[in-house]
Amino acid sequence: MKKTISRNIAIVSAIFMLTFSVMLITNYFQVSCTNTAHPELIENLKQANEELGNNPQLQEQIRELDLMARRAYFVSLYRLKTGAAILLFMAMVFVVSLRLYFANSKNIPNKEVDPIDDWMIKSKARKWMVLAAGGVVVGGFVFALLSSPYIKSFEEGKETSLEDVLVETIDIEEVVVDKVIIDEIAIDKAPEESPVAVAVEVPKTTHSGFRGNNSLGISAAKNMPTSWNLSTGTNILWKVNIPRKGHNSPVIHGNKLFFSGADDDARELFCYELSSGKELWRTAAKNISGSPSKMPDVIDDTGLAAPTVATNGKQVCAIFSTGDVICADMEGKQLWAKNIGVPDIHYGYASSLLIYNNLLIIQYDTQNKPRVIALDVATGNQRWEKERPEKSPSWSSPILAPVNNKPQLILIGNPGISSYNPDTGAPYWRVACLSGEPAPGAAYVNGIVFGAAEYATMVAINALDGSILWKNSDILPEIASPVACNDFVFIATTYGVVATFEAQTGKLIKTMEFSTEFDSSPIVADGKIYLICTDGKVFIFSAKGDFTLLNSFETGEKTFATPAFTDKKIVVKSEKVIYCVGEKD
Amino acid sequence: MNRFPKPDFESGYVYPQQQFVIPNEVLWSYIDIAVLVFLMGFVTWALIKKQIRWPVVLTSVVSIFYFGFFRNGCVCGIGAVQNVVLTLVSDSYSIPLYLLLLFTLPLVFAIFFGRVFCAGVCPFGALQELVNVKNWKISKSVSTVLGVFPWVYLGFAVLFAVTNSRFIICRFDPFVWIFRFGGELPLILFGVLLLIFSVFTGRPFCRFICPYGAILSLFSKISFRQVKITKKECINCSLCHNACPVDAIYPPYQNKVNEIRSKGVHRILRYVVFMPLMVAAGVTIMYMLSDKISRVNNDVRLYDMAMGNETNHSNVLSLELEAFWGREQTLEELAVRVEEVQKGFRIWSIIIGAFFGLVIALKLIHLSTKRGRKVYDISSAECVGCGRCFSYCPQNQKKIS
Repeated sequence: MKKTISRNIAIVSAIFMLTFSVMLITNYFQVSCTNTAHPELIENLKQANEELGNNPQLQEQIRELDLMARRAYFVSLYRLKTGAAILLFMAMVFVVSLRLYFANSKNIPNKEVDPIDDWMIKSKARKWMVLAAGGVVVGGFVFALLSSPYIKSFEEGKETSLEDVLVETIDIEEVVVDKVIIDEIAIDKAPEESPVAVAVEVPKTTHSGFRGNNSLGISAAKNMPTSWNLSTGTNILWKVNIPRKGHNSPVIHGNKLFFSGADDDARELFCYELSSGKELWRTAAKNISGSPSKMPDVIDDTGLAAPTVATNGKQVCAIFSTGDVICADMEGKQLWAKNIGVPDIHYGYASSLLIYNNLLIIQYDTQNKPRVIALDVATGNQRWEKERPEKSPSWSSPILAPVNNKPQLILIGNPGISSYNPDTGAPYWRVACLSGEPAPGAAYVNGIVFGAAEYATMVAINALDGSILWKNSDILPEIASPVACNDFVFIATTYGVVATFEAQTGKLIKTMEFSTEFDSSPIVADGKIYLICTDGKVFIFSAKGDFTLLNSFETGEKTFATPAFTDKKIVVKSEKVIYCVGEKD
Repeated sequence: MNRFPKPDFESGYVYPQQQFVIPNEVLWSYIDIAVLVFLMGFVTWALIKKQIRWPVVLTSVVSIFYFGFFRNGCVCGIGAVQNVVLTLVSDSYSIPLYLLLLFTLPLVFAIFFGRVFCAGVCPFGALQELVNVKNWKISKSVSTVLGVFPWVYLGFAVLFAVTNSRFIICRFDPFVWIFRFGGELPLILFGVLLLIFSVFTGRPFCRFICPYGAILSLFSKISFRQVKITKKECINCSLCHNACPVDAIYPPYQNKVNEIRSKGVHRILRYVVFMPLMVAAGVTIMYMLSDKISRVNNDVRLYDMAMGNETNHSNVLSLELEAFWGREQTLEELAVRVEEVQKGFRIWSIIIGAFFGLVIALKLIHLSTKRGRKVYDISSAECVGCGRCFSYCPQNQKKIS
């Protein structure tokens, strides 16, 4: 009788538990899936309340709904907890009744699942053990091999280090380069000049963009003066006022000097004669489809014409903070003009242009759609465009690094330092290592790319595979780009410290501190490093040995732009004037 | 946890200053230790001295209510394994004395009296003990292989603890939801499954999962006073063998398979010779998998998420990424941390891999040895001290009658 009662209780409690479990699980999912904390209706009403300017009646309604949602949530929770307690109680009833049912039934000997012989059991267990362990070992090996980066790198035909795991590595495509533009572009034949210019010597060393050719900060120019004086005119060939405001840097090709300027009235590209400082021509960005009627909000430190122009000796292009790009031939005939979209970027757009072969490279790291664009420099037609996975804008400018005689387009963003095939835009590698608001461009020497940003780090990257060689966060530039040459990398900071590091190891070679600020980037030329601070004081260091300060002198002109170099001449663009330094004949 | 935000509108209501009653945890920790010692002593008295089962059942009930429902099943000796190993390797973490005692006292008792902690003092063991009704046997060869899993689990628990990544024993506790009236659904389902198994076969969690049980079994093996089925002479009736829910009672050894002695010796020698190879295999596999395994670490996972987002840029960030960027940390800082974590994983994976290889090799050597038994004997390493065998033994019945 007792046994029967126990059995029946066990059955009833089991059925109850099953049914109750289903109900509880359903309730559990209802509570979990319903986001009672933010019901859609309440959110919509809140939005409506904001739009109506805090309507008291609506607020009261929202409060009531909110209270209702809270009640509903806590009631569900209470139900769930109570249900769990009831279920637990029923489980106890089930177990107790089951135990009572089996109370007097002992486990009597029945059919053995194992052989009687202990040794046979052990032998069988050994066999299972070997099989199981062997299976785990083989499975583990296969899984480890299949998921190993070593296998992947073997398939890709290159070795992989830890950095490869940390760095997004992309197959380096076979690059076919017509010609590698490095250091110096000799002008095969002198460009056609006006009759006046025929008499003057045309410099052969170009300075074709921001920080010179390929934007590397290295010039092949020689025999430049190491001192000048604007007040007395010593070593000053000419000096003229800047026709329109712009923090962009000058660019030299042959006897032509280019720069741009913009204000609320106009956005213009200027061409001056290098030998005389005479304006040859100017062309304006106007009547461009898509160009905004109102100038974008920019700060004075950036202005409307911060990006430096670029030339290839046939065309010269300029970009403005409106997104207007214009291109003219060397005689000032505007070839094309287009707007590539008003850049959504605080402070204002500042990335300089770069020309590679017949491609105009535009780093367009804006807030809404960071990307890099290549336009046909002759026609303005888009050749390729790549979206960049950067999380915020950057003000950095592209460089062209001749890695193993194959050019790589290096861009700095936040947080990535990226390498692209300049012909196709195909990404080579990307290292996400920076943060904040990167403005300095990259530097390159001997297979190493250097990137830096204030409040982040300076990093040296193997340009072949994107692996990180070293990092240093002690001294960081904010605006001025680093320059690398031979076996060192040189940086100048906005807090007046200049520092030199070993390129291969990152070991600090020397630091010097000056009570000033460096926005202009250093240029290595003729075995020296030329650097101008914002107050206009010029610093010339030796580019070897212990990087001795060879000379420093005041110019009295606030300078933010990076000077342009050609043989025997330096063109400095200050805030208000542009002047040419050179020994007078 | 699903939390409500505070109401948005200013209605003049002033939120009361939050006040918390500081629980007297120190006092409760002393009580915990006292209860632990008392219950283990009580079980020891019952199993070793009196050979009776009811105190074990009573202890189980007390343990479930005190350590389980009242103390919410935390902390316990099982999880304390992780705290102990973390203390051994970390300069920044030191284990509280209370926790150390929770870990060591059952081991001390095991050295003297066997696994009395498992008998009914451990709330998990108690839970399985009380729901166990039938005793369906699992093939001994299968249960021997499954018996290796607690060591593997222990290895991973140590690996994740020493790398400061995760306490997996606590994270994947299959029973704690019962004591807290809630938990994650997969763990609830797993716990329910284990309890259903426990109804029909003895202690599946203790035998095939519990890493602390694995350690206790080692100490119990060399215990000074072990649980005996009867104090009288065994009459080889085999009743106790059928009664044991964990199959810890071995029958008298009858060697029906006549194997040449030299063959057995050669087998053992072969395993001894291959032991370094097994250790090397464990080391190699674990080392190769270390980077994958390191994804258990929150920083490594966060870095992977961040890098994934860099690759496939998405404006909708996960909560983790939002929190990461919100703290204004840089990926570079994170990468440095990740590198450090992965380095730790590599080193410890080698050690744990060697441990795995060693466990397998020693298990195989153990399975290659022959041990003579003339009567039914309890394997003190496997015995969880439930005391069921006492009432089955006719010799004990005589005593009772």
